[in-house]
Amino acid sequence: MTFSEEDLEKLAVLSRVNLREDEKTKMLHDMQAILGLVSEINSTTIKESTTSHALFNVVREDIVTREGGALTEVLLQNTPEREGDFVKVTQVLK
Amino acid sequence: MPENFMMTKKTKSIRELHQELLEKKISVRELCNASLQTIKEKDGDIGAFLGLYTDAFFEEQIKKAEEMFAKGVVTELTGIPFAIKDNIVVKGEIASAGSKILEKYKAVYDADVIEALKSAGAVLIGRTNMDEFAMGGSTENSAYKVTKNPHDLTKVAGGSSGGSAAAVASGMVPASLGSDTGGSIRQPASFCGVVGLKTTYGKTSRYGAIAMGSSLDQIGPFGNSVEDVEIIYSVISRVDKRDSTSLGEESRTFNKKLTKTIGVPWSFVRREGIDAEVLANFEESLKKLEALGYKIQDVTIEELDKTLSVYYIIMFAEVSSNLARYDGIRYGLSEKGANSIEGYFLSRTKGFGDEVRRRILLGTYVLSSGYYDAYYNKATALRDSLRAEFAKVFEEVDVIALPTSPVPAFGVGEKHGDPLAMYLADIFTVPVNIVGVPAISIPSGKTKEGLPLSLQLIAPHNGEEFLFTVGKDFEKVY
Repeated sequence: MTFSEEDLEKLAVLSRVNLREDEKTKMLHDMQAILGLVSEINSTTIKESTTSHALFNVVREDIVTREGGALTEVLLQNTPEREGDFVKVTQVLK
Repeated sequence: MPENFMMTKKTKSIRELHQELLEKKISVRELCNASLQTIKEKDGDIGAFLGLYTDAFFEEQIKKAEEMFAKGVVTELTGIPFAIKDNIVVKGEIASAGSKILEKYKAVYDADVIEALKSAGAVLIGRTNMDEFAMGGSTENSAYKVTKNPHDLTKVAGGSSGGSAAAVASGMVPASLGSDTGGSIRQPASFCGVVGLKTTYGKTSRYGAIAMGSSLDQIGPFGNSVEDVEIIYSVISRVDKRDSTSLGEESRTFNKKLTKTIGVPWSFVRREGIDAEVLANFEESLKKLEALGYKIQDVTIEELDKTLSVYYIIMFAEVSSNLARYDGIRYGLSEKGANSIEGYFLSRTKGFGDEVRRRILLGTYVLSSGYYDAYYNKATALRDSLRAEFAKVFEEVDVIALPTSPVPAFGVGEKHGDPLAMYLADIFTVPVNIVGVPAISIPSGKTKEGLPLSLQLIAPHNGEEFLFTVGKDFEKVY
């Protein structure tokens, strides 16, 4: 298993986080050690007979239970920036 | 000043405090003020709390509890002071999950467990320190401070619910709530010498618990005794349709009868890295249970050794998905960038600590195209077979016993900066979350140095009553 600095930088972009120059070496080293441990399961063969499939999706009907706008104020209480009943963001399209 | 739970040699139980409140030996206000007073005296050294709840909320709760006593409609928790882990939301109060990204986040609703405690008349005092987003085993990953062990201030309190454990252990509150994703209630309970319960997955609602690993997270209580923890459990464990994984009434039944048989996976316990005093104490605990008429039996659980890897892969994956919600747009820390995407990077980089970013990166890795099958799919398949393995063992034994932690509380700074060493210390607690069964950590003595040690008991799904029965028996001999 090889996990390179290039992999790390690609992951950081996908994860939407920046890495400081001074932490890259340690982050790489720690992640290599951790992946070195958990990759022990890569080669495990699973006995199909023993699986129980206990995880399943829970779904429900999409029914409106509240009047429109009932929670608007509550939801906007922690918004960094708002304009009227909208969340304000930096312009996306120019 | 009346006698209270902090001022006697022996810690008072919730039932004893309840009796004193009923007999008016102490008032709700006196009891809660005594709690505040102890926090004031001790928390400067220990650092269990990140903040106290607002005065107005405190007053409102005192009044409500007093009214309940006046009307004679009390529960055993009415007027009992509680500390709450900082990742459980309380309406109108800050809930930061130990992170800078939520430093100013004021919750707009109550978690289900909080609604339950409020209805019971409990008095919520403040929010406790934790590893950021519950990621860690020592509170050293808190963005704010480290919680010290009340038994030795040079040692950690454990984590991630270290603040909740230390608050009870130091007598600041008689009870608290924490959350357990891979041992985050049981391990700090063990380090601090109190009782901690991780419930069957789905028994307590995750509605209002700030998510880390959604298929693993469970809220649970800390207390001074098995009985105290059982009382809190009976209040917070309930069906909640707002949590899609909350167990329905029909899925909460448990019909097994206790046969007084305890299973021990000896080959898993006697491993490299287990502290000699921990092992000796564990063996001694089992002897005491044998003396009470319990039969101890060696059990084999296939692939148990790999549970740590299974746990970390699944948790990383869920962390990276769950924490994608922190975008600096809707709530939480917001850093302005030249454009929308840059703001996203800046907010998350400034708001998340090292361990959180590391786990997000690892989760993104194990879920990425090309690695998904080798990591995430393999881990979920192994998780299924581990579940089946545990079910098989529980056909033969009532409970499985393990030490809670392979080591006693370690020094502040000792493992910090070495994430792998920290992860390896979770070896005995993570199988419980992977399988979704309940487990309890009960004090079992101390090291020569005076640090608490604990016995962990694990029951089948919905078998909390086995933990309480065996746990109370065990407490009698300790």
